[in-house]
Amino acid sequence: MDTTQLLKGVLDMAVLAVLREEDGYGYDILRRLREAGLEEVGDASVYGTLRRLFAAGLLTTYVVPSESGPHRKYYSLNAAGRDQLTRSGKLWRSFATTMDSLLDDRGMAA
Amino acid sequence: MTVVQQEITDYVARVRAALADLPATQRDELTEDLADHLSEVAAEAEGTLVERLGEPETYAAELRAAAGAAPGSGGRNLDQRVATAMVRLRRRLNAIDTQFGPPLGYATASDFLRLLRPGWWVLRGYLAAMLVTVMSTGDSFGLLPRFGGELLAGLIMLVGFVLASIWLGRRSAQLTRWPRSAVQVASAVLVIFALVGLVNAEGQHANDYYYDQTSTDSQYVRVRDVFVYDSEGRLVENARLFDQDGNPIRLGYPDCGPVSEDGNPLLRPYPYCVDRAPFGPRGPAGSDPAATLPSTPTAEPTSTPTAEPTSTPTAEPTSTPTPSGTATDRPSGEPTATPAGTPSPTPTS
Repeated sequence: MDTTQLLKGVLDMAVLAVLREEDGYGYDILRRLREAGLEEVGDASVYGTLRRLFAAGLLTTYVVPSESGPHRKYYSLNAAGRDQLTRSGKLWRSFATTMDSLLDDRGMAA
Repeated sequence: MTVVQQEITDYVARVRAALADLPATQRDELTEDLADHLSEVAAEAEGTLVERLGEPETYAAELRAAAGAAPGSGGRNLDQRVATAMVRLRRRLNAIDTQFGPPLGYATASDFLRLLRPGWWVLRGYLAAMLVTVMSTGDSFGLLPRFGGELLAGLIMLVGFVLASIWLGRRSAQLTRWPRSAVQVASAVLVIFALVGLVNAEGQHANDYYYDQTSTDSQYVRVRDVFVYDSEGRLVENARLFDQDGNPIRLGYPDCGPVSEDGNPLLRPYPYCVDRAPFGPRGPAGSDPAATLPSTPTAEPTSTPTAEPTSTPTAEPTSTPTPSGTATDRPSGEPTATPAGTPSPTPTS
């Protein structure tokens, strides 16, 4: 199992978490995810996740004109997005705890 | 910049092509922002898009997985179900398409239908003209279009609409999304209009038939029996009525006398009920009508429709007011039976 497969399940949460602190545009979000340690995350995955979260009504967008480069579409969390992040954060914590204890019991933890 | 723009356009096109199996709405939803996003990416880093992001097909596969793999909210799930249903429907339609092609002599049914498209364009122009006809003229029109009731204007409009429809049809492949949708919606409206028109025309036909029947009958609907009088005012028995084509005229219905004697009671000659004659030797001043009238009513179909030559010995030979008028205007007079009208005492017969 590599990180890519794990990412599939939590990329939504990761994107929402990155946006909790500060709004961002697509490439910016990708960079922040990678800086946070999710090196394997792909551009298409982030873009597709953003589109899906936006379609699900968890994100709002606004366009910021840029003089030097292209216009940038910024994504920001709305109330539904924050609720979703809180819920999935709790779920992740309990899931991670379960996995930790499972691995500890078997003596497989690092 | 234009080189980059071109690169982005090509990249988006290839991604969209790789997602071609998705329903159009879902694909548009996924890729409508892709060009903007890619220009952000291009502005951030060196190298071509392919170097930065990989082949568009790979990108598309990742995008597809990211957009569809992890289920989001419930609304997304509904979307997915709809999308799956659409894919299944499309597959089914394709199967039908190839299945019905060979019987028509073509590889697919759509190959055949595509040949009919110019015909549809012409028909669409005609339908548009008829729609304007309905709106401008009301309901008094036939199969030719009219504009405000004017046939010539309607024909000019027809030619114009047909040409416009053909022009639109030939250009439909080049139309962008919204105009094409508008044309499709308008065409659908015209198809519905045509179907409604067809149903109406069919209903009108049935109505005409029904109306004809009642109109011929309505004038005589109250007639139950027919009494024919000759110029002397004598009741003609065993009369038969024919129209100009020799067809028997059947009026009324025999509700007296011998019924079911020979099949159809409507074939009996007039009058059905002799003793109900409105004029004749009956009433208080006359004698018993049964005595004056032949006792054998009508049962013979071979008897000619003339009055029976039996001289009737009636009671009053001196009654003066002989019916001078013709037999036709006589029955239209007073409906009460007057005893004065006995025409009997004529020696000739």
